[in-house]
Amino acid sequence: MSQPPEDLRDLDRLLRGVRFEPRASLGPEIAGRWRQGERPGRGTPHVRRWIGIAAAVAMVGLGLFIFWLAALQPLRAYAVDHCCQDLDGGGDADDGLMVVARRGTEVRRLAIYEDRDGSRTFTPGDAIRFDRTGRPVVTAPLLPGIITTEFCCLDYDGGGPSDDALVVMGLPPDRISMAAIYERGAVGELR
Amino acid sequence: MAQAWYEAYGRAVYSYLRFHLPSADAAEDVTSETFLKVFQAADRYDPALGEPRTWIFRIAQNTLRDHLRRARVRRHVSIATMRDLACSAPSPEERLLWEEQVAQLLGAMAGLPDRDREIIGLRYGSGLDSAAVAEVLGIKEAAVRTRLWRALARLRGLLDVEGGEP
Repeated sequence: MSQPPEDLRDLDRLLRGVRFEPRASLGPEIAGRWRQGERPGRGTPHVRRWIGIAAAVAMVGLGLFIFWLAALQPLRAYAVDHCCQDLDGGGDADDGLMVVARRGTEVRRLAIYEDRDGSRTFTPGDAIRFDRTGRPVVTAPLLPGIITTEFCCLDYDGGGPSDDALVVMGLPPDRISMAAIYERGAVGELR
Repeated sequence: MAQAWYEAYGRAVYSYLRFHLPSADAAEDVTSETFLKVFQAADRYDPALGEPRTWIFRIAQNTLRDHLRRARVRRHVSIATMRDLACSAPSPEERLLWEEQVAQLLGAMAGLPDRDREIIGLRYGSGLDSAAVAEVLGIKEAAVRTRLWRALARLRGLLDVEGGEP
């Protein structure tokens, strides 16, 4: 190459002296990566490292989200409409049971209705014979003639297995004085 | 044969890339990517189209361009990243002065247009002569000289503005 102009010669000389040396192991490392099947076009190692970290963070985030959903599942309200049986002892299988529960844990509301229109589900025209929230209650004095009936076993609380029993105290023909749901196998555990 | 190419051109490619990249890590990454591409395309190399050196440097140019576009690399050059700078200075003080001088030089280079950086990197970074640079860039040798002197003049201007007489 011919000489640069006079005023650039010192800069030319300086730049000629600048040389960078790769570490001695870089060549064998590239050859090793090639032999192990690594191919170009998938980002540099540093880029791949960040992609790996981002993927790990995403996986942890996904795991936490799934765990959160699973933990939240029992808290979600679940409604059961079960019709029809003779719950009040009146002789006709025209009573329906409405349950609002946290899956498999707690019954928040329990209502017994008379399926007047024969729709086999609760509709606005049906008469509610018993309604409670929270703990069991007795809505009428325990008069002579009360019939206590236990129905077992169905999944009344949406928990999955059919392990719930329903106990109803009915005063024929159409009064319900008490109703409760409990889980069979867990003695005395009222829902 | 492909690995013999690294032996022959690996240092030159690395040094060329290092003129454009702010750290040894980045230069190693792009050198690796370049030679993985070279190994992959070795079967398709046609000697009739030119020397392997020209072909390899073109791959390095493209890989560097992709890297710069992807990574939006900072142009700042720090002395702390000069662990790969070759130096024959006998004392630590002289080495430090040399590193400072080179950092200033490369820092000023970052202010040049891509075209200027490219020709300076090829000529001084890789140590290619003007004929080889002309082959890589696909221009005449005389044009290489003209472009190089203009690039150096602009670099000199930037160094003067920064007050750093190298």
